[in-house]
Amino acid sequence: MKTAHELRPGNVIMLDGSPWVVLKTETTRSGRNAAIVKLKLKHVLQDSTTESTFKGEDKMEDIILERLDCTYSYYADPMYVFMDSEYNQYDVEAENLGDAAAYIVDGMEDVCSVTFYEGKAISVELPITIVREVTYTEPAARGDTSGKVMKPATITGGGTVTVAEFVKNGDMIEIDTRTGEFKKRV
Amino acid sequence: MNTQRHLKPHWDIFCVVVDNYGDIGVTWRLAKQLVDEHQISVVLWVDDLHSFGHILPSLNPNLPVQYFNGIKIIHWNNTNIIAFEPGQVLIEAFACELPSTVINSLITLKDKQLSQPIWLNLEYLSAETWVDGCHGLPSLQANGLKKWFYFPGFTDNTGGLLREQPISKMVTQWQTENKKQLLFTQLGLTNIDDDDIVISVFSYETPALESLLNHFAQNDTKVHFLVPKGRSLFTLLPLLDCAFDLKLSQVQPGSQYHYQNAIVHVLPMTDQQGYDQLLWSCDINIVRGEDSFLRAQWAGKPFIWHIYPQEDDYHFEKLNAFLDKYCQQWPPALAVSYRNLVTAFNEGEREKCTQRLHELDLQQQSLQDLAQNWAQSAINETDLTSRLVQFIKSR
Repeated sequence: MKTAHELRPGNVIMLDGSPWVVLKTETTRSGRNAAIVKLKLKHVLQDSTTESTFKGEDKMEDIILERLDCTYSYYADPMYVFMDSEYNQYDVEAENLGDAAAYIVDGMEDVCSVTFYEGKAISVELPITIVREVTYTEPAARGDTSGKVMKPATITGGGTVTVAEFVKNGDMIEIDTRTGEFKKRV
Repeated sequence: MNTQRHLKPHWDIFCVVVDNYGDIGVTWRLAKQLVDEHQISVVLWVDDLHSFGHILPSLNPNLPVQYFNGIKIIHWNNTNIIAFEPGQVLIEAFACELPSTVINSLITLKDKQLSQPIWLNLEYLSAETWVDGCHGLPSLQANGLKKWFYFPGFTDNTGGLLREQPISKMVTQWQTENKKQLLFTQLGLTNIDDDDIVISVFSYETPALESLLNHFAQNDTKVHFLVPKGRSLFTLLPLLDCAFDLKLSQVQPGSQYHYQNAIVHVLPMTDQQGYDQLLWSCDINIVRGEDSFLRAQWAGKPFIWHIYPQEDDYHFEKLNAFLDKYCQQWPPALAVSYRNLVTAFNEGEREKCTQRLHELDLQQQSLQDLAQNWAQSAINETDLTSRLVQFIKSR
């Protein structure tokens, strides 16, 4: 079992007897520190999506499905193609990647976990931490070095991450794929 | 409707009392409004009748079941719950955990393929933008039951704000007829003249209260602070002219303590109507949490919101989200001064708060006018209870 707060894109959960892929998670805070988690879910069998809200501590049945470590190979619209260590290829629908799609770039070497349901690749989990290059960000306005002042930055692949103001174009940064948060400059 | 014949024609509301007056204050107002304005039968389940008794003095904390305002009130706890008979709607106030017997009865209905009550989690009020995207969404539970998240809020896309239909008229009438002296007499508060400044204080502990008292104590006009026994008075007590060894438990309602040109009056506890009238009667209100915060808005008087503090200072996100809305139509300079003061008050820094108080005249007419405008416009078409009834009808 996982709590709603622990879920991340790519997880597959069982709700009312049906398997759902988590496409997107948004965690916010209600009164008195309680977490509220909004999930975008895709029904594995019916190809339908829904949005749902949970208390952070709500328990979910996290289905243990077959998983394989793979690396990203190429994109053939509308499929992302991943390959395992024996060069077998697996197609995953772009929609099923959810927020993880923002971090998929050509040539990436991150080892991803591809999940299968009844022989079909249905989702991909990225490593918790990935490193990407900042392709564009505004220069620091006030020379802040504390890391508390933040600004938007575009990373390789076109995604946007909020980074510390001291981050510059060309910097390599660590990103937490569970939250999309900037962790540090590497 | 045939499939719902097994459900009783009432709504159940469950409330866990967390901080004495807030959670139960909101749920009690909701229950009363459902009965008064929508003729809905309500069963209110409360885990702490002693705290509830502070705002409903005639409640008997030793009775497991009793009726007030047409509402059936049941005392419950997790180990001893009176037989639950499912109604049309089941509300867990502020995400409180429902007793397992209640959940089990819903599962039994589901297993028998009978319809279940519409189950709602009534969440805390927030002005943050994410509320619009989360309000009204389902929450599929692992046990197959479906719950809905209902978020109060300030926009059309949220669950709205709790406010009784006639309150605007009642406030206007109260203030026009200048009934404040009548109330002060009823509350045992003496020596308050019509031209004196009167400030109600219902906050959490904060050094900012010392700044507030010091600031107004130097005023040429006599200033009265009306403070119930509790966390605010605990903060102020060491400053007052009473014996320094006086403990909070020894302070009596109606007592007065002088501090320079200010007088601190110890308020007796009142019911919700009495507290509302107090807010309508004061020139400035210091409020906290959710219930008094909302009531201060309907009073149409300048107020300072002491928000419930959260980890990592997250409460400032919520405070700023509210101030963005509250001050949106204000003259920019006034908005900045007000925001600075409210922020400093919540930061609890004495010197900063003192400085901000010098920068803003809380009694200026423009602030009064803006507070009154907000009281009229914030409701945004319709109130929470009406929206809730509509929400249930549309499920």
